[in-house]
Amino acid sequence: MVLMALAALIGGVLLGLYGPAGTILDQLVIHSDWILYLLMFSVGISVGLHRGILQKIKEYHIKIFIIPFGVIVGSVVGGWITSLFLPIPTIQGVAVASGMGWYSLTGVVLAEMYGASMGSVAFLSNLMREILSFFCIPWIARNLNYYTCIAPAGATSEDTTLSMMVRYTDEETVVMSVFNGIICSAVVPILIGFC
Amino acid sequence: MEILLIMCVGIAVGAKLFPAKGKAANEKVQIVCTMLLIFSMGISLGRRENLLEQLSQIGLTSFALAVGPIIGSVIAVYFLTQWLMKPTKRRKR
Repeated sequence: MVLMALAALIGGVLLGLYGPAGTILDQLVIHSDWILYLLMFSVGISVGLHRGILQKIKEYHIKIFIIPFGVIVGSVVGGWITSLFLPIPTIQGVAVASGMGWYSLTGVVLAEMYGASMGSVAFLSNLMREILSFFCIPWIARNLNYYTCIAPAGATSEDTTLSMMVRYTDEETVVMSVFNGIICSAVVPILIGFC
Repeated sequence: MEILLIMCVGIAVGAKLFPAKGKAANEKVQIVCTMLLIFSMGISLGRRENLLEQLSQIGLTSFALAVGPIIGSVIAVYFLTQWLMKPTKRRKR
């Protein structure tokens, strides 16, 4: 799965760089939302097929916020510590980390706030977070626990990296993952606003 | 928000209408969609005019700011879930 994902990514980048414009490739990019919708529908079916899962989620109550809380605090503290070792202002490092993988939004907003260079760092860094998540998730599922698979994914845990949760964890974690993605995505603009 | 709505429709279909024997086919759909999404993300990256130039200039700073928050999140979520929830750890397939 990871190798297939890597091949798809590299193949896409190469075709994007050297492929002709205005072909079916661009149509795929323009309509990629529909692929995501189909994926979400299919993931919903998987969850629905698994009887008793929603009951279990209800049992968690307030505990369902534990994972997003850990992801947000961990990202901000991790970004803060890392930026102490980098030649950039600490607050800007925290702002980049606050994107939690949402590269499109963070890249655009930080370019606006701190200039094009920081915008590019924000874009690349959050994109790398998403890509690295693909490779961390199988290892975390084997060596730590299923819930922790959601941690690297951050705000992307409701869409792109969700399929990795489907593959490497269980239905309960998949539902937690969607919930985490929604909370984190809502928090990203607020966190960046504080920076 | 619409993806949440679509997923809820999927859950209802899965719980009420979808035949259990279609589970494997449904999982194949997920893999195909994921690969198409990653492929599509690659294309839009490759279409960015100064991608390679950007990578060489700010690659290391960006990489550090990806790894640091990942490690921070993993540590925080791991200890919180071990402490407050009952996590599962097993190998699927």
